[in-house]
Amino acid sequence: MSEEQHTGTDITHDSRSAFDLYHPAVPLVYFTIVIVLSMAAFQPVFCVLSLAGALIYGCYLRGWRAVVRSLRWSLPMVLIIALLNPFFSAFGTTQLFVLLGRTIYLESLVYGLCMGLMLTAMLQWFSNAAVVLTFEKILAIFGNVLPTIGLMLSMIMRFVPMLARRGREVEGVQQACTAIAPRSVRESTSLRVREASVLMGWSLEDSLRTADAMRARGWGGPNSRSVYQRYRFGSADLALTVSFALLGLVCAFLAWVACSQFAFYPTITPLIMWWGYVPYAGLLLLPLFIEFEEALRWMR
Amino acid sequence: MDALNVMEGASTMVHTPPSSTAPAVPVPALSYTDFSFSYAGATDRRALRDITWVVERGSYTLLCGDTGCGKTTLLTCAHPVLAPRGERSGMLRVLGRPFGEFCDEPDAVGHIAYVAQNPDAQIVCDSVWHEMAFGLENRGVPQDLMRRRIAETSHFFGIESWFHRSCSELSGGQKQIMNLASVLCLQPDLLLLDEPTAQLDPVAAQNFLHALFRVNRELGITVVVATHDPASMAPYATTVAQMGEKGIVTGVPDRSGVGRAEHIRSPRRHPAEGTGTEGDPLISISSMYFRFERKADWVARGIDVEVDRGEVHAIVGGNGCGKTTLLDVMAGVRKAQRGVVRNRARAQVLLPQDPQALLVCDTVAEELREWQGRCGYSEADLDAMVERFDLAGLLGQHPLDTSGGQQQKVALAKLLLTKPDLLLLDEPTKGFDAALRRLLVEVIDAERAKGTTVVLVTHDLAFVVAVADRVTMLFDGEVASTEPVKGFFEGNLFFRPTVADLSALGLT
Repeated sequence: MSEEQHTGTDITHDSRSAFDLYHPAVPLVYFTIVIVLSMAAFQPVFCVLSLAGALIYGCYLRGWRAVVRSLRWSLPMVLIIALLNPFFSAFGTTQLFVLLGRTIYLESLVYGLCMGLMLTAMLQWFSNAAVVLTFEKILAIFGNVLPTIGLMLSMIMRFVPMLARRGREVEGVQQACTAIAPRSVRESTSLRVREASVLMGWSLEDSLRTADAMRARGWGGPNSRSVYQRYRFGSADLALTVSFALLGLVCAFLAWVACSQFAFYPTITPLIMWWGYVPYAGLLLLPLFIEFEEALRWMR
Repeated sequence: MDALNVMEGASTMVHTPPSSTAPAVPVPALSYTDFSFSYAGATDRRALRDITWVVERGSYTLLCGDTGCGKTTLLTCAHPVLAPRGERSGMLRVLGRPFGEFCDEPDAVGHIAYVAQNPDAQIVCDSVWHEMAFGLENRGVPQDLMRRRIAETSHFFGIESWFHRSCSELSGGQKQIMNLASVLCLQPDLLLLDEPTAQLDPVAAQNFLHALFRVNRELGITVVVATHDPASMAPYATTVAQMGEKGIVTGVPDRSGVGRAEHIRSPRRHPAEGTGTEGDPLISISSMYFRFERKADWVARGIDVEVDRGEVHAIVGGNGCGKTTLLDVMAGVRKAQRGVVRNRARAQVLLPQDPQALLVCDTVAEELREWQGRCGYSEADLDAMVERFDLAGLLGQHPLDTSGGQQQKVALAKLLLTKPDLLLLDEPTKGFDAALRRLLVEVIDAERAKGTTVVLVTHDLAFVVAVADRVTMLFDGEVASTEPVKGFFEGNLFFRPTVADLSALGLT
C-alpha cells in the first residue's frame, strides 16, 4: 500500500561473525558436529558443557538480551520435563517423596533435568547457527550443487514475505472501507473469505507475469544453468574444517567413554574430575577463539 | 551518431546482420509491413490492423496512443517468448530477420529485452544480486564472464550500494532500475519497454528515463517505449510514433511542454461552494506520531491537519515523506502511537495504490455488483456508473485481465457505488492517460457537488491544481504547509506542474 512500508525482518543479510571470513561449509561442518555431539553425549557434564558453550557463544553473537529472552520460555520447559519425567519413568533407588500416589526418585528427576538441558542446548546451538549460516550461505552451499534448488529457495524467500505483506494490505483496505463494514457474523465471515480470494487472485495473476518475465530472460532454455555465487574453499578453510573434524572425533571417542561408564539408573554414577572433558569444552569454545583472534587483529 | 558507430563495431559480438544486406545500410531494429494480428479465441476482432512501422537502429522511439489501442500487443508481437498467441498476417522483421526465423535462433531471447509496467511482477529472486544474475545463470554463462557483466552493469547504473539488499526493501524506482539493469546484463540489441514509469513517482520516473537515455546514447541500444505520457520523455526521444485509428504516424518529439508552468490558474477556491460548516472538520489530526516498529525511524513526527466537510484535500510531498501513512492513519488502518485522530465520516472508502487489493470477482460486471446487497444501490445507479467510466466494453472480462488503468477505473466505480461521504484516494491517477485524468477530474467535481469529502495523496501536481481546494505538503514527517491551491504553487520553484501536464488537463 505504501512506498515507505518496509519489512523489518531482513533474514538474508546482516550477519557479523568471524566465520564470514571462511567458506560457508566451514561453519556448517562445525555446527553439525556440535549439534550431533550434543544430542549423542547424554551425560550430565557433557550436557552442561554444551549448554554453557551455546549460551556463551550466543551472548557473543546475539547479545545477552536475546539469549535471556530465548531462555525465558526454554527454562520452564526444562523444569516441566524434569518434573514430568519421574511420572513416566519411575525408576531409581533414591526415593525423594511420594506425590499423587507415585514415588518420585532422584535418578529420574536428574534424568529429566539432563534431557531438558540437552534440548535447551540444542535450541541455542540452532539459534547460533541461524545467525552465522545466513540464507545466502545456505544458498551458496546448495546452489552450486543443485542450481535449480538454489533458485527455488530464492523464489520462496521472495514470495512468502510478499504474500504476508499483501495479506495485510488487503485486510487494511477492507478495514478502511467502512461503507462495507460487516453488520453481522455472517457478513464478517464472508469478508474473511473475500480477503483470501482477493489475495489468491492477485498472487495468481502476479505469478503469470513472473513466469513471463522468467521466460523472457531465458528460463527454461537449452543451456544448463550456471551460478553467480563464488566461494573459494581455500587452504585456511580446509585446515579449519580438518581441525574441527579431528577434534570432533576425539570428543566423540571421549563422550563414548564417558557415557559407557555412566548410568542414571539404578543409581547415578558419581561424577569425577576428568581431563576428558577438556577437549569438548575446547571444541565448544573454538568459535569464540576465532572471534577473539579476529578482535585482536582490530585492536592492533 | 558516434554511439551508433560504436554499436555497429560491436555488433559482431551480439548480432550479425544477414550477409545479403550491405553493411553500409543499417538494418532497422523492427519493421512491420501491413502487419495485422488477432488474439486466439477472438479472431473476429483484429487487435492490430495493417500496421506499417519502422524503428531505426540506435533510435529512442516513443510509441504513443490511447489506453487500449494495442501498444503492448504491437511490442510483444516482436518478442520471441512474450508474443501473444493468435493469427498474424503481413510481415514483421526483427533485427533484420523475418520474425519466425529470428525466433528459431538459439539465442533469440538474448537479443531483445523487455521491461513491463509493474516493477514487482517482473522480479523473480529475493535479492538484488541474484536478480541481476538470473538471466545469465539461465543461459549458463561461465562464472567469470557473468561476474564481469554484472559488475559493469551494476557500475553503470550505480547499483553497487544496494547490490546485496533484499528486493522487497527497494523503492519502486530502484526496482525498475534493477529490472532494466538485469535485462541489460544480457547485452540485448533492442530494448522494449511498456509504460515503464507508469507506476513510479515523478522523481523516480525522471531517474529511470535518464538511465534509459544513457543506455540509448552511450551504449547505442535501440529503445522503444510504449507510453501514454510522451511529454515527460520528449527531451530524450529521437522519434515519436503516434498510434491511432489510421495506423502509425512517425514524427519528431514535441518538446514545447517541457519546463515548469509560468502561470497557474486554479479553477478552485476555498471554502468549497455550498458547503463549509465552519469549525466542524470531518477529520482532525493533531500532533500525530507514527513509526512502523519500535526501533524504526518516525514516519510522522507531530502532524497536524484538518479536513473540512465537503472539501477536496490533496496531500503532496516527496517519496517516503509519510503521505500514504497519513492516509492510512486517517482511514483508521494504522494506529498513531501518539496524538489525537478524529474521523467523523459515516461511510468512507479507500482506493489503494494497487487496485488489485479491491478486486475479487470473475467479471467486471460481478465486481460492480459485489456490494449491491450490502449497500443497496439500484440497477440504474449501476448503469449510470458503467456509462460514466465507459466500462460497457469490459463488463464480461476478468478484472485482472484488464490494463492497469482499467483496473483503477473498475475499482473506483465499485467504491463510488457504495455512496461514501468520505473518499480516500491513494495515487488515483497512477497509470492514467490524459483522457482518464480528465475523466477523474469530472468525477471528483461531481462528488464534491454532492457534498462528498475527498482526500487524495498524489504526485500529480497538475491534477492537484485541477481538483483540489487545499493542499497539505508533507516533508520529513511533518506538515510543511497547508494552503489553498491557489496560493500554494505560486511561490514554488521545483514543486510546480509542467506546462504539458497542465495542458493535458485543459488548464492553460
